Amino acid sequence: MSMSESYYLKQQDTEGRVEARAKVTGKGKYAAEYTVDNLCHGVLVGSTIPSGRIIAIDTEQARQVTGVIDCLSHQNRPLIPGFSSAEKIKESGFGLPIFHTDKIHFKGQPIALVIAETLEEALYAAALVKAEYEEAEFDIDFDKKRQEIALQESGKERGTLEAWKQAKHVVEQSYSIKAEVHHPMEMHATIAAWTAEGHLELHDKNQGVNNVQQVLAGLYQIPKEQIHVVSEYVGGGFGSGLRVWPHVLAATMAAKQVNRPVKIVLTRPQMFVSTGYRPASWQRIRIGADEQGRLLGIHHQAMNGTSTYENFNEGITRVTRLIYDFPNLKAESATVPLHMNTPTWMRGPGDCTGDFAVESAIDELCYTMQKDPVQIRLDNIASVNHPDNKLPWSTHFLKECVTQGAKMIGWEKRSSQPRSRTDGDWHVGYGMAVGMWNASRGKASAAIRMTGDGHMVVQTAMTDIGTGTGTGMLNIAHDVTGIPKHQIHIELGNSNLPPAPSQGGSTGMSSVSGAVVAVSNALKLQLAQYAAKSNPGFNGVSADEVMLSADSITLPDKANVRIAYTDLWANNLLGQIHVEATSEPGEERKKYAFCSSAAHFCQVRVHQKTGKVKIDRMVCVADGGTVINQRAAANQMSGAAVGGIGMALMEEQFVEHKLGGLIADDLAGYHFPVNADAPIVEVAFIGKPDPNINPSGAKGLGEVGIIGTAAAISNAIYNATGKRLRDLPMTPDKVLLATPS
Amino acid sequence: MEKKNSYSRRFFIKASAALGALALVPKYVSSFYRDIKALIVPVKEHINLTVSVNKKPYTMQADTRSTLLDLLRENLQLTGTKKGCDHGQCGACTVHVDGERTLSCLTLSAMTVGKEVTTIEGLSEGDDLHPMQEAFIACDGFQCGYCTPGQIMSAVACVKEGHTGSVEEIKAYMSGNLCRCGAYNGIVESIQKVAQHETI
Repeated sequence: MSMSESYYLKQQDTEGRVEARAKVTGKGKYAAEYTVDNLCHGVLVGSTIPSGRIIAIDTEQARQVTGVIDCLSHQNRPLIPGFSSAEKIKESGFGLPIFHTDKIHFKGQPIALVIAETLEEALYAAALVKAEYEEAEFDIDFDKKRQEIALQESGKERGTLEAWKQAKHVVEQSYSIKAEVHHPMEMHATIAAWTAEGHLELHDKNQGVNNVQQVLAGLYQIPKEQIHVVSEYVGGGFGSGLRVWPHVLAATMAAKQVNRPVKIVLTRPQMFVSTGYRPASWQRIRIGADEQGRLLGIHHQAMNGTSTYENFNEGITRVTRLIYDFPNLKAESATVPLHMNTPTWMRGPGDCTGDFAVESAIDELCYTMQKDPVQIRLDNIASVNHPDNKLPWSTHFLKECVTQGAKMIGWEKRSSQPRSRTDGDWHVGYGMAVGMWNASRGKASAAIRMTGDGHMVVQTAMTDIGTGTGTGMLNIAHDVTGIPKHQIHIELGNSNLPPAPSQGGSTGMSSVSGAVVAVSNALKLQLAQYAAKSNPGFNGVSADEVMLSADSITLPDKANVRIAYTDLWANNLLGQIHVEATSEPGEERKKYAFCSSAAHFCQVRVHQKTGKVKIDRMVCVADGGTVINQRAAANQMSGAAVGGIGMALMEEQFVEHKLGGLIADDLAGYHFPVNADAPIVEVAFIGKPDPNINPSGAKGLGEVGIIGTAAAISNAIYNATGKRLRDLPMTPDKVLLATPS
Repeated sequence: MEKKNSYSRRFFIKASAALGALALVPKYVSSFYRDIKALIVPVKEHINLTVSVNKKPYTMQADTRSTLLDLLRENLQLTGTKKGCDHGQCGACTVHVDGERTLSCLTLSAMTVGKEVTTIEGLSEGDDLHPMQEAFIACDGFQCGYCTPGQIMSAVACVKEGHTGSVEEIKAYMSGNLCRCGAYNGIVESIQKVAQHETI
């Protein structure tokens, strides 16, 4: 990245999002909502056993139902070229080869698809499909199965375990977290249609249209240009849309089989076994400090559940290498194969899990040492270099986040003595924790189409899953070009537009902002070239010198140099100007380490008689570099903290060990926070641009908003009650029955 | 459930055997029971239905099983009303029936005859937005936007019901509408904004 590309936002947005009107009027179309001629409906049938083999599938009764068009299973599906042999299935990396195997890996695994004229008919007929199985042994108890698994070195060891064996203060504890499910409000859905020319048209819910295009092109062995994916409105993702899941393929297969467009909308119970989840995890931490509270070493062991047909390691120990400069560090991990569907990245993947254990252990250490948790963070956070690769942080403001957060919550009100403050039947306490995330950036492209009336469209394939991608693009395009916002339109979430990476790992804005800056500059230069033909003042100008107003191209430093677009377009016989540009990380990645970070503080009340935990206040201060849209960014941070409250207090995928499946698999059984479960979350940003990461200086915020939340809550519960809870979620029964330590 | 007129031979034999053998062969009772159960499920019925949605009458032949939610989304293409769970657990499908907030996924369409259904598409007229829609834009009361129509329909009712006395009261009376993005800050702020304006 050259410095001339460098650009920081000059103003904050005070208007609503670009797509706000479409969302509040219900006019924005999500995947399942497009009107498609001749559409039929598909409903998946799940396996009723967790492990074994299908012997027979009986679709006779289902086929008798009026309106049923066909019933797809491994016995009659059209062959997918990428699944034509066992080797190819493995090579595809797709995971579950839906309808191309008789093996059952988990309860609820799709074994058939009923296609009917109406949703009611398909739903009813799906209930009539029966299968006979040869049942096999299964493992579904994570805590039991993990005992058989050996840990393996996870990353390079630093120093030795021996070096801090005699540390003055040591905490050694185990932590466990139950599996959590993303559950975006929009259930995953796909409408698939094949054209006469063999092109595939998809309306699909995902977090990256180019990824869907790529994966399906590989499986069907057709050029990706023959696959068109539209995902203009995406009702949340949180990681569940980063992979292409079996139901997407089921819809494409069905559309081919019946030669009609087919729509599949997963049911909420199917969402539990179809689109990944944050796996159950176990961790053991041994952490030591010297007399002054300087952290000497950490031994971090972690395991997470995975499926029997794919290996997913969440990367739980990664965060241990990020925040503190432990002179001695040993990390080990392993995955535990279970008869469940494959887990996947869920908001703050790995780091969220690991951070809960590390930040809980450090808090415990603070009480052991009788030191202030805020001070211990300030004394030990590695704010100069990345502790592992030793590269200097490009920018690092975690200590500033901690200081500001402490001030906002009124940390001085906290009693260092646990269980010492009550309010009626309630114990009151304060807790804090920090979180970090490696700030990445991908290669992204954007285009601008401009017409002579001064209107332009900024385009990229990237989705907007609710993060405000479109609004961010608008703000950047306006700031770089100068064209008023009401003359700028945004188009995204469509694979026909310039390619962009999937929206995950907090890289969305970091990646696309570079592309929008680049294409905005390209537009300015292109217009200046045309302008130079009639006004030599525009000869050889740089993008920074050019500004575009509502109706003219100008050089702000030279008042008399100005050409109206109408003249420019007429003189050069222009129709629509089209520029496209690509932006990607470069040499800066070798010189610097990049991170986003946040500090969470909370005040909780714990009911003495019921164990109910009420979050009175939640404060989150984050460093995500430049904040491109203040309100959307704050919304994302507070929303992530709400997700963290869910992780801490209620979210749990219930596994039934005897029959080998999930229970309570709907939104009455799986609790995530409702409005009353969360306080008004107080958010603040450091807001300083990172000059090296990309031209906008934005580092990404999606993950750091959740990472430290659960630990902050757990630490506050300890401060309130003297009870140290190391098993998430901290439901009232666990809180009530725990013994003060 | 309505069956096709022509039955396959296999199906016929299986069905007769099921009926005949039920009392005689206890060992197979459970599997035969399943078959018979499938046979005696009520036949599919259509009814001639007129529902008034957003002050416009729609007359159609509807499946008696259709929920108001599926009728709106699949038959009338009014997709502003969202399906988030189909079980009355999330509130995304909230509409107004005769002015009261109602979960359209738990309402059979046949139950709305003679009633007035208002969806997000009918909350305001023409290009004007309802004050609650304006407030959701101004307060950024959403992220992904999927639960938003349901939140707005509930929010309008929440103000009308007078449950806006405090942040806690708003939160309690808006807790039937889940938002996984966690945009609760902005949702509460939007409602406060509209409630304040209405009381002035």
